[in-house]
Amino acid sequence: MRKFAIQSLILLSLSAVAAAEDLSDADEIVSRANLAAYYVGADGRSEVRMIISDAQGRQQRRQFTVLRRDVAEGGDQQFLVVFSQPSDVRGTAFLVDKHVDRDDDRWLYLPGLDLVKRISAGDKRTSFVGAHYFYEDVSGRRPSDDSHELIETTDAFYVLRHEPKDAATVEFASYTTWIDKLTFLPMKIEYRNSAGKEYRRVEVVEVQEFGGHPTVTTSRVMDLAGGGQTDMQFRYIQYDVGIPQDIFTERSLRTPPREWLERPAE
Amino acid sequence: MKHLLPALFLCLLLPAGLFAQEDPWGEDDWDDEEQESRWSGFVEGGFGTRFSADPLIDNPHTLEEIRWRLESEWQPGRYTFGFKADAAYDGIEGQWTGEVRDLTLAFTAGASTDLKIGRQVQTWGTGDLVFLNDLFPKDFVSFFAGRDDEYLKAPGNAIRISKYAPAVNIDFSWTPVFEPDIYLTGERFSFFSPIAGGNVAPDPPLSAIEPEKSLSNGEFALRLFRNVEGREYALYAYNGFFKQPRALTEDLEPTFAAMTSLGASLRRPAGPGLLNSEVSYYASRDDRGGSDPLIPNDQFRFLAGYEWEARPNFTVGLQYYLEWTLDYDVLIDNSPFPQYEADEFRHLLTNRLTYRAGRDRYTWSLFTFYSPSDQDFYLRPIFTYRHSDQWSVYAGANLFGGNKPDTFFSQLQDASNAYLRVRYNY
Repeated sequence: MRKFAIQSLILLSLSAVAAAEDLSDADEIVSRANLAAYYVGADGRSEVRMIISDAQGRQQRRQFTVLRRDVAEGGDQQFLVVFSQPSDVRGTAFLVDKHVDRDDDRWLYLPGLDLVKRISAGDKRTSFVGAHYFYEDVSGRRPSDDSHELIETTDAFYVLRHEPKDAATVEFASYTTWIDKLTFLPMKIEYRNSAGKEYRRVEVVEVQEFGGHPTVTTSRVMDLAGGGQTDMQFRYIQYDVGIPQDIFTERSLRTPPREWLERPAE
Repeated sequence: MKHLLPALFLCLLLPAGLFAQEDPWGEDDWDDEEQESRWSGFVEGGFGTRFSADPLIDNPHTLEEIRWRLESEWQPGRYTFGFKADAAYDGIEGQWTGEVRDLTLAFTAGASTDLKIGRQVQTWGTGDLVFLNDLFPKDFVSFFAGRDDEYLKAPGNAIRISKYAPAVNIDFSWTPVFEPDIYLTGERFSFFSPIAGGNVAPDPPLSAIEPEKSLSNGEFALRLFRNVEGREYALYAYNGFFKQPRALTEDLEPTFAAMTSLGASLRRPAGPGLLNSEVSYYASRDDRGGSDPLIPNDQFRFLAGYEWEARPNFTVGLQYYLEWTLDYDVLIDNSPFPQYEADEFRHLLTNRLTYRAGRDRYTWSLFTFYSPSDQDFYLRPIFTYRHSDQWSVYAGANLFGGNKPDTFFSQLQDASNAYLRVRYNY
């Protein structure tokens, strides 16, 4: 891990060299950031854990495994999330068919009732299983939902400001992202309300490389208005493992696919 | 000088080292899943009491229990053994009770077939607390007493075979010995009896006569389903019995009438929300013409619902449900109690309002059943507070009312109750 930290420092210092090839098209930067953050490889798997801390410092934990498959690069995707912790959500599973041309299809499986519950489409900027992350943070927000403006290019970052095309469907008035010029990973996102005040911040704390792909391994979201934060860590990350399409169906909600959920040997 | 280089390195590593100290996760926590099996569950205390006395039942309380849940899963090779059981001291019944909710062996046969054998909870269909083609057993006593929603679904001993294919998925469930609903017996809640012309609470509690345990009296349930571009289509078939003791034997004892059903459902996104629709036809095999007053008639059931997020964290669900009793004139002509027969068309409207706050720490929910034809209602407010991953508190009420003594919710007026449950998850 430390070796990677040093490498990323070196990479950051090299970014000055890359400055000659700076991009100037905001839509292209956003498109490349979207690919870097959500579309690495044709598929991927990761174990994730979150610590949810409220304003009083009380903590809750969640642990789950995510499987992802890209139907089309930059396009439709499928996600399967299976929870292992805490004990009252163990076996709960979440299936997403993410679409670029219409609302996502989402299902939640509640093992106690053997119930496959479908979740309505609007419900995406609300808490993901009690965390400060939203459902949309987990599967990605459509770039076409916002208009993008490049406001600054620094040595290390493209700084962009984004405004929602339909303000009624979101809680923010705008957000600003710092996109790493080398990796195209959004390293910091600040959300502002209509008064222009920052109330929510997402930060990348650590990036590592897996199979040549720079990957966020630790991130944090902070509720600056109400206090509290959620820390998220990713481990046992693999890309291009060949997860078949039929893993992302109702079958996997009831019978989680052990072959793909089992932790790979490191 | 020779210490300078390591010192420089230390400076570089300092931020990472600081973070490591802040890291609230022990590095070992990732190893949790390496264990092949683990035990978990909860301990829960629950207390509920009536708003007003039921003259037929001495106990003013509707829930008095300490419940201990133990569950685990064991996965040797390609097999999965599941176990989930409750032990509870029930103050209403004045005794310890035990219930195995899951005791199953599950495995995959071939690439596309899953089997699950043993005691299990099963659910399908699109209704929200309204069931048409889901003819798996339900526990209405737990539901009305304010136990967790999970207990509405009762376990059954079954073999479930699921076959998945691109054209159509098939679920087949065989319950060799009929598993009825947990129905009203008069022990905790009194119920309406047409013979008495009012509510009764028999002692000993009502115990309906169950079908003989023979191979042909098992329950067969089938679902064919497919998801096409987010539209979920399903066809259903069932062969077994009405799940409630709505029939009478020749000795006028309650029993379960033979029933076969066919149905279909659709669930799809529409506008900002989700639309669901479901139909079913219940064929009462021993009274197809409807002339036997001891046996329920055929019924056609219809459901349409819509759910959407009206505001962030505020979800609204609306359903319309119809029970159409067929051969109704014949039923009334032959009934000894025509005044107490259900209406030919029983209309039911439901409304679910859910508001979540504090990142799901607090949940306010109100489920309303209202029947304009029966002129009765059932309100089900629940407040849930999740204090931590271990502690949760549930406070709620079950409020019944109506204008006639014999309708489904109206008969439960004296069962109206409020309850509190505290749960510790381990």
